[in-house]
Amino acid sequence: MAEGTTRAKPLSPHLQIWGWTVTMASSITHRATGVALYSGTIILALWVVLLNFHAPSFAHLTTFLASPIGVIILSGYTWALIFHLMNGIRHLYWDSGRGLNYETAKKTAWFIFIASFVVSAFIVWSALSTRGAI
Amino acid sequence: MAHKGTSTFIIQRLTAVILIPLIGWFLWSVVAHAGDDIVATRAWAEKPLNAVMLGAFISIGAIHMRIGMFEVIQDYVHGSLGSLLKMLNWALSLLVIGLTWWSLFEISFTRLF
Repeated sequence: MAEGTTRAKPLSPHLQIWGWTVTMASSITHRATGVALYSGTIILALWVVLLNFHAPSFAHLTTFLASPIGVIILSGYTWALIFHLMNGIRHLYWDSGRGLNYETAKKTAWFIFIASFVVSAFIVWSALSTRGAI
Repeated sequence: MAHKGTSTFIIQRLTAVILIPLIGWFLWSVVAHAGDDIVATRAWAEKPLNAVMLGAFISIGAIHMRIGMFEVIQDYVHGSLGSLLKMLNWALSLLVIGLTWWSLFEISFTRLF
């Protein structure tokens, strides 16, 4: 500085001062579900590998996945898959240059949050009834 | 990934589009076979259509997740740790694809286990 005074370098606004918006939440959730599905894919691949190579471990894995904790994990995986699928279609729609208007993006974000829960609840319920658990 | 932006962009969207019907098939299969034991599961996985669809779901999913995770690493982890994670990301995705097809192949073509 010309006068020899120093002052703190101005910083750009940080994460926590932004107001929460549903479009922001859908963007973060898309990334978070993507990361969750990464481990889901690894578990699925492991399931296939054990199905071929090691029957006793496969039995352990399926017993675990059928337990209450396993059902919670699989329900979470189902929701992550459905959310990422729906929001992915929203991304593809955006790529076509449509749906980018803020009001529209807000509506589609809310729709996906609600619809993904409804659809995945239906899928989990269907799977549990096939299994004869309910 | 210098000078590869466009092809990565296209591959991510192409795999996304292919994954739409594969997810539908996968969830439908899981719901229809929930609670099956290993014998029934192997009998299901042995069928050519099921083996190919499951292999395609996992492999195309692995390509899609590799690109997604690459972007996440690029955003948050810099320097040599970032490079290491990107290599692990590649290795893990290739391992998922390779081991899946190996297993599916053996399930289809061997009777004993």
